[in-house]
Amino acid sequence: MSDPTPSSGAPAIRYRNANITYAGGVAAMKDLTLDIAPGQFAVIVGSSGAGKSTLMRSVNGLIPLTSGSVEIFGRPVPTKPGPELRRLRADIGMIFQDFRLVKRLTVLDNVLIGRLAHVPGWRSLLGLWPKKDIEIAFDALERVGIPDKAYVKASQLSGGQQQRVGIARALAQQPKVILADEPVASLDPITSHQVMQDLVRINRELGITTIINLHFLDLAKRYGQRIIGLRHGELVYDGAGDTVTDRQFLEIYGRPPEEDDFLGSAHS
Amino acid sequence: MSAARPPKPSPPWALYGVILAVVGGMTLWSAFGVGLSAREIVCNLGGGTRLLRESWPPDFGFLPRLWGPFLETLQIALIGTVVGGIIAIPVAVLAARPVSPNWITWFLDRNFMNVLRTMPDLFWAMLFAAAVGFGPLAGALALSVFTVAVVSKLFSESMESIDLNLPEAVRAAGGSWVQMVRFSVLPQVWPHYASYVMYAFELNVRASMVLGLVGAGGIGMILNTQRASFEYERVTMIILMVLVAVLVIEQISIAIRRRLI
Repeated sequence: MSDPTPSSGAPAIRYRNANITYAGGVAAMKDLTLDIAPGQFAVIVGSSGAGKSTLMRSVNGLIPLTSGSVEIFGRPVPTKPGPELRRLRADIGMIFQDFRLVKRLTVLDNVLIGRLAHVPGWRSLLGLWPKKDIEIAFDALERVGIPDKAYVKASQLSGGQQQRVGIARALAQQPKVILADEPVASLDPITSHQVMQDLVRINRELGITTIINLHFLDLAKRYGQRIIGLRHGELVYDGAGDTVTDRQFLEIYGRPPEEDDFLGSAHS
Repeated sequence: MSAARPPKPSPPWALYGVILAVVGGMTLWSAFGVGLSAREIVCNLGGGTRLLRESWPPDFGFLPRLWGPFLETLQIALIGTVVGGIIAIPVAVLAARPVSPNWITWFLDRNFMNVLRTMPDLFWAMLFAAAVGFGPLAGALALSVFTVAVVSKLFSESMESIDLNLPEAVRAAGGSWVQMVRFSVLPQVWPHYASYVMYAFELNVRASMVLGLVGAGGIGMILNTQRASFEYERVTMIILMVLVAVLVIEQISIAIRRRLI
């Protein structure tokens, strides 16, 4: 078994010559070598089909590598399902474009899903959550500012509130890494900025390594401490967010930026 | 610029002709097979009317003696529904292709369900009557199996059309397979489940009459003894009571199910 505590000095995420080829022969990741430092706020950009979602899902083993290696704080990501992979996933929170909440359950129940890997199986199945875990779930809801919604059904919240529940669920895992897959793509511009600011604030406050897939260039530039550009599964750009130029975007997208590539509005 | 309009394709008359011939032929073949003949029906109608005359009016005096067996019928149906409904949950989960943990489990469970469904409820009633003796327990056991067959089939089908993105969210949080089922699959289909169980209860009330014929307890047993001793007015009373009960239960069930989904 691997060491549960991060070995000091190891990067949060470390890819070495990683490849992912799908059954149809499509190469979604090509020879990726990449280090992400602990506490970093990295944004992955690229057009659709560039392999952003694949990269994200290889961090928590939802999609296994075809070859090469990926390590999280020095622990290799298991390629087969089992307790080891579940323990690793317990340390990695994930946020989705479509929120992925159980609409029929309350907000608190949804956040408690983030505690599943930490409570005895039979207790979770019977819904007998330990007090400590309910406390953690409430803390997470407070951090995203909606503790008052705890006993409301998830289906009754607005899109922005639902995504906050999604973030709270990830936080309830007390994760070392947060993965956010297009977290604002289903939200309006104002809410998008609020959710991005929440994610940045959480990254600063808790020091959780955060990786976000975004397709809006202005959001990436504004919030990305580091920008990683993918094109056809290959790393084509890696640099600071505030220095990225239009020419470099041309390289990532294979075309000049257009109006659709910007979220616009609420832009300060 | 638009392309030229295509001519209207002519209907496939030959195909229609073949279908009509096949269906017509099969109907005629079956009619001869069962000896369907208008003349015989008309000539023998008298026998039927005599039976109906003897069965009227229903013997309301018999009603008080029906209460016990009637309640027993309800109890048989209720136990069968509850026990069968609970067992149906894991059976259905393992038979839903996107949820089932692996191909072999799915295949075995699917076939298990098919076998359950192929056997008629009367078969189970006779089997359990032989095993635990004649009486309501045999009926309750038979209906439990029958309920598993009905509910698991419908329930596993509704699980095949759930939103499969939710399970990914639970797996990403480190949840096990059982937790994935409990927190992302079942919450999506509970209303369907409740509806199917209500439906199974309706079927069970009706079926528990028939089960009495093979000695599996309830009102069906009285029905059988009265019929055997030619007490047709009492038989009518029993059928009337069953009819009212089934209609009432059906209406309640329909009203509840409408609110569920």
